[in-house]
Amino acid sequence: MPKFTQGDVTIDVDEDGFMLEPEQWNEEVAKALATTEGVEDLTEAHWKVVNYLREYYLQFGVAPMIRKLCKETGFKLKEIYDLFPSGPAKGACKVAGLPKPTGCV
Amino acid sequence: MQKATIQPLKDLEMFLAADETVDVDQLIPLPFPYEDWHDEPIPGLSNDQASRIESGPDGVCAAQIPVPPSDEARERLVAKFLEGLKKLLTRENNWTFLQPLLLSMDNCVKCQTCAEACPIFTGSGRMEIYRPTFRAEMLRKIVDRYIKPGGHVFPTLRGNDIELSWDTLVKLAELSYRCTLCRRCAQACPVGIDNGLITREIRKLFSQELGIAMPELHEKGTVKQLTVGSSTGLNPAGLMDVMEFAEEDILEKTGINIKIPFDVEGAEYLVMHNAGEFLSWPENLQAFAIILTLAGISWTLSSELVGYDSVNYGLFYDDVQYARVALKHYEVAKKLGVKKIMVGECGHAHKAIMPVADRLIPDELRVRSESCLVVLEDLVLNEKILLDPSRNDFPVTLHDPCNITRSMGIIQPQRNILRKIAPRFREMEPHGVNNYCCGGGSGFAVCQSLNFPSWKAKVSGRLKFRQLLEAFSDSIEPETKKYVCAPCSNCKGQMRDLLSYYQAWERTGMLYGGLVELVVNAMVDVREGFIDWDFH
Repeated sequence: MPKFTQGDVTIDVDEDGFMLEPEQWNEEVAKALATTEGVEDLTEAHWKVVNYLREYYLQFGVAPMIRKLCKETGFKLKEIYDLFPSGPAKGACKVAGLPKPTGCV
Repeated sequence: MQKATIQPLKDLEMFLAADETVDVDQLIPLPFPYEDWHDEPIPGLSNDQASRIESGPDGVCAAQIPVPPSDEARERLVAKFLEGLKKLLTRENNWTFLQPLLLSMDNCVKCQTCAEACPIFTGSGRMEIYRPTFRAEMLRKIVDRYIKPGGHVFPTLRGNDIELSWDTLVKLAELSYRCTLCRRCAQACPVGIDNGLITREIRKLFSQELGIAMPELHEKGTVKQLTVGSSTGLNPAGLMDVMEFAEEDILEKTGINIKIPFDVEGAEYLVMHNAGEFLSWPENLQAFAIILTLAGISWTLSSELVGYDSVNYGLFYDDVQYARVALKHYEVAKKLGVKKIMVGECGHAHKAIMPVADRLIPDELRVRSESCLVVLEDLVLNEKILLDPSRNDFPVTLHDPCNITRSMGIIQPQRNILRKIAPRFREMEPHGVNNYCCGGGSGFAVCQSLNFPSWKAKVSGRLKFRQLLEAFSDSIEPETKKYVCAPCSNCKGQMRDLLSYYQAWERTGMLYGGLVELVVNAMVDVREGFIDWDFH
């Protein structure tokens, strides 16, 4: 099982760096995971996206539709790519501690 | 198209001994504006990953087979494989596909006509290990040597020069995931050998007997679907949230107030969508809701587990999982008492719910099913919805999902619709039953792990991307927005990844989507601009 370690943070991840146990997530974990996505500083805009994804996941067990993410956070899709270069599903969800999306998505 | 050059299969053992990685300089070249396009090599696994996970002879990894802990464990797996292979070849253990399997195993004349029909073999620059006959020949040699009476006597003299070892099995298992089961080879074969079916049966043997399968298809696919309700992980509560959002979005975009019906008993149609639409392409389910409602069709969705996700990945790798999901689909439809199931824009769901069920599921357990394309054709051609084709005044081409066209022969309905609603529709070549797979078939589109995404963008999707460029060659400049119509969720997933990898929006202004979105974009009763060109 791969582990991801940075500073005081050590978590189990899958082969692509997504958390295996999303309940272990906290802000320190988010900051550490962000560095793997080329995001050195989590700004207020980053947190807005991350917190929305997190809350949605805890309520429904999946990531929200990208369209809904854009609408609810007020960011255009391009702006989300500016914040998380590998995009909402791969980048932002990883930082928010969601497991990797599955199925035909 | 390149002229067919028929070559013999080079010595199998030679290629099995040597690993053959993809040489990106040998990939088929792309036309304007991609003459300068450069592909990076497909990355290998890290040392840490390679210590835990097996990869194929090309260094690519799809099945994620764990490295066995000991030589004894390897031997046990090899023994299990042989037991499983014996079962695969007996009627009582493989009544489902034994006949077509044996016909294909016993009658190949090795003419290699199939090789030039294969988009992966040709797209890769003709790598031997991707030849459609390669994995079939591996299996044949194993059967001849280890199963047939006397096969072990002077095996090399008989041409049965394959040693059954764990390494051989890893190669066979991984190579069964370098074919999209598009069955273009079977169509090209002069005697009807189906190397796609052989590949699928190899996957089945590994899954049912050794517990080896692409995780996206099994643990995160059918297992998740049968427990959570959908392979996407979407549960009924999430489903309702998606639908509430869809209704709001429809109202905002079109000015029309639509209530999406759920669990309506006795409806004419139970519409089954691939749940990927709900999360990644919600405009598709919205477009269906608009069309069916405005046309006055009696329809419903189901909120029951599995009933709201038409996918059946079992089709790609496992008979048992296939049957579990298929039976659940019919059970949901029977309980609601609907007249028919309407399968939405999902190719493999078409095949799973229609022709394969014809073969495997008893009549009394089934419910009549119909393709959405046939229903839509009636609505469009018989003017049950009002259309203004001038709203679709941009270049459009059609990608044919293999499971809808080659496997089912549904060719004209989607074209009749496009001719009516898209004045600048043009075919790509080849098309219809001769189409090329998008490169994401048989579950590849959902595999996003390790180095597999790199492989499918560069190798299995290469010919498709070339076709798209050729289809739009008269207007390839990025200022002209153009639309690739792909009426299948799996194909759309692959299109998204292909267009992104090749930076197609930036270089050519190419967008992809389904068919119903184009229909709604042309509907007179709907506010203009349903297709959102800025959302990519």
